[in-house]
Amino acid sequence: MDFGSFLSAPELKLKIVTYRDIFQNKALIEDRFGEEYIAKSALIKLDSVDLKNLSLKKGETVILKNSFGKVVVKAEASDSETPHRGIAYMPNSPWSNRLVSTETGGTGVPRFKEIEATVVSAKGEKITELEF
Amino acid sequence: MLSEGEQMEKEYYVCTGCGLLCEDIETELEKRAISKVYTACRVGVAHMKENPGTAKFWVEGKNTDEATAIGKAAALLKAAKNPLIFGLDNSTNEAQKKAIELAKKLNATLDDSSSFSFGPLMAALLQKKFKTCSLDEVRDKADVSVFWGADPSDSHPRQLSKFAYFPRGKEKQRGWEEERTAIAIDIRKTHTAKICGNEFYQVPLGGDAEFMEALIAGLSGKLPKTSYKYPPKKLLELANLLKAAKFGVIFVGQDLLYSLETLAPLFRLMDTLNEKAKGDFFLIPLLEAYNMRGFNENLFEETGFVNRVKFEAGSVKHGPEYSVVESLKAKAVDAALIIGSDPLANLPYSIIKELLEIPLITIDPCETLTSKKAQVSIRSGVSGVEAGGSALRIDGVRVAFKPVFESKCPSDEEILLKIMEAF
Repeated sequence: MDFGSFLSAPELKLKIVTYRDIFQNKALIEDRFGEEYIAKSALIKLDSVDLKNLSLKKGETVILKNSFGKVVVKAEASDSETPHRGIAYMPNSPWSNRLVSTETGGTGVPRFKEIEATVVSAKGEKITELEF
Repeated sequence: MLSEGEQMEKEYYVCTGCGLLCEDIETELEKRAISKVYTACRVGVAHMKENPGTAKFWVEGKNTDEATAIGKAAALLKAAKNPLIFGLDNSTNEAQKKAIELAKKLNATLDDSSSFSFGPLMAALLQKKFKTCSLDEVRDKADVSVFWGADPSDSHPRQLSKFAYFPRGKEKQRGWEEERTAIAIDIRKTHTAKICGNEFYQVPLGGDAEFMEALIAGLSGKLPKTSYKYPPKKLLELANLLKAAKFGVIFVGQDLLYSLETLAPLFRLMDTLNEKAKGDFFLIPLLEAYNMRGFNENLFEETGFVNRVKFEAGSVKHGPEYSVVESLKAKAVDAALIIGSDPLANLPYSIIKELLEIPLITIDPCETLTSKKAQVSIRSGVSGVEAGGSALRIDGVRVAFKPVFESKCPSDEEILLKIMEAF
């Protein structure tokens, strides 16, 4: 029996910063339900040390979770030259919006930009499908 | 090479892929669809080709005819006590004005995406709280362009090549090599920041307001200090660079707006720059949707507000409670007409759940997550490709456009008119 299966997967707390990506935007216009848009949207870019500490390899899926929602997306190391441990980048998308707080304090402005969530390996689970 | 006669016949079209409204687009048609697009950026090419060409009408997920869909949409709106009209940032000025008329008629709540992005900045701009200028002036005169929380290389791909950095302008004949400086201030090294080279200033998450205050201190001859210990020497170098500007522009992106609790530090910085710099400093919001500026200006002209309004028996109310987010959270609206927007993709999940509880009508050139869940869904023509009209560029310049080809898809304006006629 694999002893590792009894150990809980390492978990990290993250601040997720969303961003715009021209290639993702182009894929959205071409086919918002297509594979290319999903591949360029359901994605989180982590600091390479964070990725290693989560025992993840490029392209494996992770579960991102907070009190507002949970999504499974692909993880990869960011190409940032400066380290950014604890901070991860995610393209603006329906997947990132699943984690956005609705506590607006009555201002009408959700916090789209700085999302707090935990990340853990999804152990092969597939990317969350957008069903409502 | 084209002869003079052939060149005279060349037709140029407008791309409505983003708020730059590029007017120099050439296309080739094949079987009533655009097969080739010239001059546009990556997003623009995809956008111009996005034309399925046929009108489609759905009621409860089933294909139907125009009259049935329009009739059902009108009936749902008429039956609602407090309908919401949302979107319109991707619609023409003409459609926006029609939607304002419809909102008045229905005593509806009316809002757009500026409600959770550029709203306060656009209100301040229209109230003339800071200096702004046109993109043509930027091309002809600007020597310093600052991209703050803005990444036009991804959001407005031709902004640097057409206006802010690379072109030769009337008073900037030596261009970016000698006469222009581009500066990026951001929390991460964006594609635009890479172009700015050494003039990239990386600010920690949420640190923009403090960076502005430190810059104001630097411009005023004081030592610039931040709690995150940004090197004062680098801040002073930036202050000196800005001080020397003869024609400076700050392009404000959405990411900066999300970082600031209030716009006061930004306005203080603009005032200080205009007091201390050699020349004038202007601010242009980098609005993303092609006609958000139009929505804000058209509504402002009509009501004095840029968004978040509720019409009521000849009067107009305004406030956060009339924002799309708060009105849905409070369950204050009982039907929604969504035009050219996909809130199911763009809003937080718990807000979406409220939207799914009420009857939905969508008008959009594309099938979206929202249109798939709508009781009535109408496919409209793509602006600038299948439908003509006008829009306001991010700097407020009005751009008129004609369709590339005649389409059977009705424009947003025509659909809204027909819904009103069906009451």
